[in-house]
Amino acid sequence: MTDAAFSALASLADPSLLMMLAVGVVAGLVIGLIPGLGGTGAVAILLPITFGMDPEPALAMLIGALAVVHTSDTVAAVLLGAPGSASASVTMLDGYSMARQGQAKRALSLAFLSSMAGGLIGAVGLTLAIPLARPLVLSFGSPELFMLTILGVSLAAVLSRGNVVKGLTAGLLGLLLGLVGTSPTTAEERFSFGSLFLSDGISLVAVALGVFGLAEIASRVGQRRVSEKPVELSGGWGSGIREWLTHWTHVIRGALIGIWAGVLPGVGATAGTWLAYGQAVATAKDKRSFGKGDPRGIVGPESANNSVEAGDLIPTFLFGIPGGVPSAMLLGMLLTYGIQPGPAIVTDHLDLMYLIVWAFAIASVAGAFLCFLATGSLAKLTKVPFAVLGPGLLVVMLLGAFQEGGQLGDLWVMVALGVVGFFLKATGMPRAPFLIGFVLAIPMERYYYLTASLYDGASWVARPGVLVFAALLVVPVLWSLVKRLRRASGAADDGHRDEHESDEDSVDDLEGSLARTPWSLAVAVIAVLIFAGALWVSGSFSAEASLMPRLVALGGLVAAAVLTWQELRARRDRARQDDVADVEETPGGSGTTMLATRVAPKVDARALARRHDLVIAMRTFTAMAAFLVLVMLGGYLAATLVFTPLFLLYAARTRPRTAIIYTLVLGAVLMALPSLLPVDLPLGLLQ
Amino acid sequence: MTIVVAYADTPPGHAAVTGAVAESREGEPVVIVPAVRGERSPEVGEVESRWPDLAGRVEVERGDLGDPADTVIQVAQRLDARLIVLGLRTRTPVGKLVFGSTAQRILLDATCPVLSVKPPVAAT
Repeated sequence: MTDAAFSALASLADPSLLMMLAVGVVAGLVIGLIPGLGGTGAVAILLPITFGMDPEPALAMLIGALAVVHTSDTVAAVLLGAPGSASASVTMLDGYSMARQGQAKRALSLAFLSSMAGGLIGAVGLTLAIPLARPLVLSFGSPELFMLTILGVSLAAVLSRGNVVKGLTAGLLGLLLGLVGTSPTTAEERFSFGSLFLSDGISLVAVALGVFGLAEIASRVGQRRVSEKPVELSGGWGSGIREWLTHWTHVIRGALIGIWAGVLPGVGATAGTWLAYGQAVATAKDKRSFGKGDPRGIVGPESANNSVEAGDLIPTFLFGIPGGVPSAMLLGMLLTYGIQPGPAIVTDHLDLMYLIVWAFAIASVAGAFLCFLATGSLAKLTKVPFAVLGPGLLVVMLLGAFQEGGQLGDLWVMVALGVVGFFLKATGMPRAPFLIGFVLAIPMERYYYLTASLYDGASWVARPGVLVFAALLVVPVLWSLVKRLRRASGAADDGHRDEHESDEDSVDDLEGSLARTPWSLAVAVIAVLIFAGALWVSGSFSAEASLMPRLVALGGLVAAAVLTWQELRARRDRARQDDVADVEETPGGSGTTMLATRVAPKVDARALARRHDLVIAMRTFTAMAAFLVLVMLGGYLAATLVFTPLFLLYAARTRPRTAIIYTLVLGAVLMALPSLLPVDLPLGLLQ
Repeated sequence: MTIVVAYADTPPGHAAVTGAVAESREGEPVVIVPAVRGERSPEVGEVESRWPDLAGRVEVERGDLGDPADTVIQVAQRLDARLIVLGLRTRTPVGKLVFGSTAQRILLDATCPVLSVKPPVAAT
């Protein structure tokens, strides 16, 4: 046990590993500063770069980035009052108020130190989880692993915030997408429609980058510029550091909540951070200063959002069930190396596990240190409007997706999934279960067939492990029932532990903005049609290959039909009473800080903003498609050189000088990349 | 001194305001805090027309926190209130177990006296 731990530490002394870890940390910090990317973006952007590497350096780099993303995402929240990621919006409540009182450095030092401690405690949690879970994991057979995959998808669907039916529909859609390609048991092609490209299955990077990355770009390009001037970086670091030491209990509590939130699939950094804030307020005797710059409101949440990422890794590596979106991608990466998480990783790759733990801890410390050093200069990055970053990110992400299979088709799939992701996001469908479902589809099927062939009949159902997991499956269902009852009961005494549900809406403009419009009805109807189509198509497969698709399609059909019915009913209710809109506009607890910057929108203004968002997103996706056409014609470099200035001048409306310099730099980077990293540029017809 | 009312647009909530009116001294400010998540906060005008005694000395305050119980206590602490008034509604033990209780948390966590009132029997 300890031998493995220290040999892993010794292996980190290898300069090439340390180098990769450092690259990961720097990349993670920069990505954290850019709004809207977060841990998902960090892993998604770095993942393609790792394809040519060994597993150790690749993991060191990805973990390094993942560990520090939530350290630097605080900077924008504190200095601009515009959260860099949804989870940093919690820190904004107290951090921005503190910064406006001229104590920006105090707020930031509290946040950085808490992030560091959160990461360290998370790493300790991960270490402790290994010996605790080891005997358990080793006792698992394929029936338990099969139940775990089911549990993973359904927990993710139920625990994601909002409507359970939406979560289930999204999870089942993800499972269905994961089934595209060659069946693992019969080598039969499913849902490939005769296309050789689809018979390989859909690339994980394309799915993750499309549904999360491109959708994020499209929804943020149209975002208003931050017009407020950033708060000056004033005050002293020292006072914050001393104060932090007095709040150590909050640090530990926040970190533990974060780990727990991370272990649960579908409860990500955002929800975990709100939980930490809620408990900090609830347990404080003197609540006067919360929302007006209370250090306790910064310390707890900041340590929680870093430890969430460590908590996410626990079920990912030990059980093969991703705890969140970034770890779903890590899981996919391990599978491409042939490392099977779960029992195999505990027996054969224990050193890899400890390498991850050490990398996480070292990165947390280094990240906080770098943040102290470089915040002054890095903070400028938060002022860059997203529209300017858009084309650069787009070029990097598309290049990344190209690396896995080297096929242009992947890029088209990615853009199409970007549109899907945009509508999922806009209509309030959670996207985490979608990706988790996608990743788990094939393992689920494989474990099922192993189980069915090893045990005769249904005798495996009676195994104690299976029974326990089956019982666990019931819990979320009950929980969602309770939640529903709470809402229905008139809610004069609403439950008091779930503030994140109401608060989050006020943070992200787009998230769920199309809910309860014809658009969300259309999404539900389309889901019904997709599942019905899948059911019909799967009729032609052999009995073995058609079982999973059929079950998924049937379940999906039911979920999507219920969703459609809910949408129709909501529309009818809405027509009956129009003044409901008033009530919905006052989200539970937007504080005075938010009220000051955000005037309550009128219904008309909302409809207008919605149309504006849609038009911008449509234009952005059209631009992406145009870019791909250019790539097919002239190759990647030429396409970038043409596309970037056009986009910058017409969509982002930058000055010509900026556009030219930007394009030249991007072009130079693209030219240099293939010689520095194992990266190929797509070739065009004319090359 | 100030009186803080945990307000809801329900019979117990209205009883709480009435209770605060009865308790308040001449000209003492009464601050209404909406204690139901997602409910529209009442206009000062509405409250004044319903309880004319409060005209000119009632305010509505929303606080900075998501949780209603925490919000009520926070406002009371900030204003250094003399008293919090809240309305109780009838709850079975099972109902309490399932739904939690804002009233209970205010009672337990408040740092000033709390007056709890019930609506007239006919109204519940």
